[in-house]
Amino acid sequence: MNKQKWIDYALSKGFDSFEIYQNDLEEKNVTYYEREMESYVKSHVLGTALRGLYRGKMTSISTEDASDANMEKLIGTMIEQAEATTSADSGIILEPMTTEEVAKENRFVRPDAASIDKTFKEIEDKFHAYDERVFQVTDLFYTEQASSREISNSRDMHVRDASQAQAIIAGVAVKEGDEIKNSFNVELLYDIRDFDTDAFVKKAADKALNKLHASSIPSGTYPVIIEKDAMTSLFTAFSGIFSGDLIGKGISPLKDKLNEKIFADNVSIIDDPKNTDALVICNYDDEGYPTSKKTLVDHGTFQTMLHSTSSAMRMQMESTGNGFKQGYDSPVGVRPHNCYIVPGAKSFDELLEEMKEGLVIEGFQGLHAGINLASTDFSLQCSGYCVRDGKRDKSVTLITAAGNFLELMKNVRDIGGDLEWKTQPIACPSILFEGIAISGE
Amino acid sequence: MLEKKKLEQYLSRCMDSHADFAEIYEEKELSETINMLNGSVENIFTKNTFGVGIRLYKGLQAVYGYANETDEKTLTDLIDDLRDALGKEEKGSDVALQRVEYENRHPVKIRFDEVSLADKASLLQRANDAAKAVDERIVKVDGTLLNVRQEVQISNSEGRLISDTRVRTRMMVTAYSQEGNSFQSGKDSPGGGMGLEFYETVRPEEIGKEAARVALVNLVAKDCPSGKMPVVIDSGFGGVIFHEACGHALEATSVAKNQSVFSGKFGQKIASDVVSAVDDGTIPNAWGSQNIDDEGNFQKKRVLIKDGILTSYMVDRLNGRRMNTESTSSSRRQSYMYEPTSRMSNTFICEGTSEFEELFEGIEKGLYAAKMGGGSVNPQTGEFNFAVLEGYMIENGKITYPVRGASLIGKGNEILFDIEKVGKTVKRGQGMCGSMSGSIPTDVGQPPIKVRSIIVGGTANE
Repeated sequence: MNKQKWIDYALSKGFDSFEIYQNDLEEKNVTYYEREMESYVKSHVLGTALRGLYRGKMTSISTEDASDANMEKLIGTMIEQAEATTSADSGIILEPMTTEEVAKENRFVRPDAASIDKTFKEIEDKFHAYDERVFQVTDLFYTEQASSREISNSRDMHVRDASQAQAIIAGVAVKEGDEIKNSFNVELLYDIRDFDTDAFVKKAADKALNKLHASSIPSGTYPVIIEKDAMTSLFTAFSGIFSGDLIGKGISPLKDKLNEKIFADNVSIIDDPKNTDALVICNYDDEGYPTSKKTLVDHGTFQTMLHSTSSAMRMQMESTGNGFKQGYDSPVGVRPHNCYIVPGAKSFDELLEEMKEGLVIEGFQGLHAGINLASTDFSLQCSGYCVRDGKRDKSVTLITAAGNFLELMKNVRDIGGDLEWKTQPIACPSILFEGIAISGE
Repeated sequence: MLEKKKLEQYLSRCMDSHADFAEIYEEKELSETINMLNGSVENIFTKNTFGVGIRLYKGLQAVYGYANETDEKTLTDLIDDLRDALGKEEKGSDVALQRVEYENRHPVKIRFDEVSLADKASLLQRANDAAKAVDERIVKVDGTLLNVRQEVQISNSEGRLISDTRVRTRMMVTAYSQEGNSFQSGKDSPGGGMGLEFYETVRPEEIGKEAARVALVNLVAKDCPSGKMPVVIDSGFGGVIFHEACGHALEATSVAKNQSVFSGKFGQKIASDVVSAVDDGTIPNAWGSQNIDDEGNFQKKRVLIKDGILTSYMVDRLNGRRMNTESTSSSRRQSYMYEPTSRMSNTFICEGTSEFEELFEGIEKGLYAAKMGGGSVNPQTGEFNFAVLEGYMIENGKITYPVRGASLIGKGNEILFDIEKVGKTVKRGQGMCGSMSGSIPTDVGQPPIKVRSIIVGGTANE
């Protein structure tokens, strides 16, 4: 792709400004089953997205065939799209902007095939040796990715960055009598020579074994600790409420709530794309706008909403550098990046001690379906365990937790200090809530 | 798409290895999304997908590679990488392909790419206007029109060369209602495996009105009670109960490795006598239909359960090897970026004999789930969940008041025995199903059914 040729052609066709966004992704995945390599997947995909301002309308398109032969057709389609768009909130193609750039050290060392083979066989053997109730290692998966992002536009912007990651995922099933339970464990793999297979196996196996003998509990309202991973998944599902795009369109419950108290005093939320504790940092968003650290909620008060250039234009505000795509083949939306609920001081065990009697939720299922972002109502299948006298008691399954997320976050009794960044751009510590409606027997 | 000669050359190269089977999947897809908010066209996005996936088998081992550059060097390098993973062997393989021709079962009358964007946006406008006209409490209407045209060509080392063009359209409308501090939503999102002629039978006005109707019901709905109770689940998308509670656990992906609650249950009773169910990928122009599956086999109708007895799993080629059985033409994938595996197509519970009113008889206190949302399942434990988008309480055999914020949970292998009554009229609803090989269009469906007892997750504890 001759980028300058595409930009010149677009400008000659009447575009005010034009952008070329490319994502180059190389991936390798290996799975093992019963000590043998089961599958090996290797890929290289270059994705291109084009965006341009045509007669005051922003128009965009993506392609996986950006050969120059396609140039006229694709840009022609973009013009048709712009002509059919009626919204005036276009966003802008930016001039180069500077920021104090942060670098994150790349600690990932690529393992060779032999060390993956050795590690996977070791993990499988250790799972079976760990407990006689382990009856199947259902999944052993290694994945590595190297991706780079490049944004060039007719206003002389050239932004390029790259990231790399690799991880090991294991699934294990345990059985006692007719009862079967399973669990998964995902760990980033920095250097396979330092990978602690014992700790990895113990974490996944214990998680599955602890689910055995689980039963439902009577319906009622219980004090609940939502454990950090479950809290992260719940918060992620509702993170859209901070989107300036949805707020501007009037379909976020936080419309007209800026500077109002929305959560409990002890809740603060920060979005910081340059946070080097997280897996992937971004100095610029997918529009090339510099990112920055923002306090979305300060001690319960809604202080900042997130914006791209387009959503900011609708509300006559400034972008916050949160114009991110879901992939190169999607339009720019508004998304948090490295967003977290500020942790408290207590350890998880201290939270248990504080709650004394209640329930710990370790995981939610069906988050894609069981929430309503407009009302923030939720009703979700979950699992976990009961707490008696501040200690873990029987495991619980086949229950639901239901309520309203805005109301829930007003009922935070305490926040744990166990925040941990994993593979996602959102993280939460464990949180103790006064009460959540639980449905069971 | 690659020419036959090139494909033969690449497949022969693949087979010069320890592989016993090789396949090349080529894909070109045009996907167009038009979004309208309150009558204003907010965004139009066109996505052009293009790439090739190459797969080699050696017994139960599979190696897969994909790329979106199809020049000789890229593909040869990719094949050599895959051969290295299995082991090279210069056998002088010579694959000869024979193109398979067939009659298209899913004809398209109005191609979306031949209709102007303004005309397509006017379909959304009709839905928007109809939703707004229902009631002044409908404050926002968000509509999206999705049109997809996917062309695939599949060739393999057994000499098969076959192509398919899959076209689908869907209109997704969400209406938002407001009264005082209560802000609710309702949605409707029908679709079909056809062109824009779909909207001649499913009119945009009806889609808009239906979304608005549900949004208004939820505005006055009370909190849903919790606990175990009888539930009547209506037809159409209500079939998500079978999709989640049973369908996924009948896919060879989990069955083949003994990771399903239904592994080893072929020929056994897994549901009550009133339950028969099929997965039918051949229904003309249905949302989940195809002429061929993603391994190039002609789609089929699979009778999964007959009068409560398990009669078929859904099997792809690789898992078929593990299970010592033939593929049931159930192999599907989102795109060339995914290895295909066994998936559902149009899956539904078949018609029964009960009248609609009979389903409510004898229920002292229960839930009528009129409209369902999505859900998920753990095939190994059978535990599933799904959301109720429009619900009503049943008291003394009568539908009384609307409730909101409910979900239903249970265990698939138990719930199938708890289906007591099955109604007469099957309707299907459209959804996107996510699993190992990506997100694919599938229909769910059923007549209205009565489930003896299921855990209802609500907020109103009594």
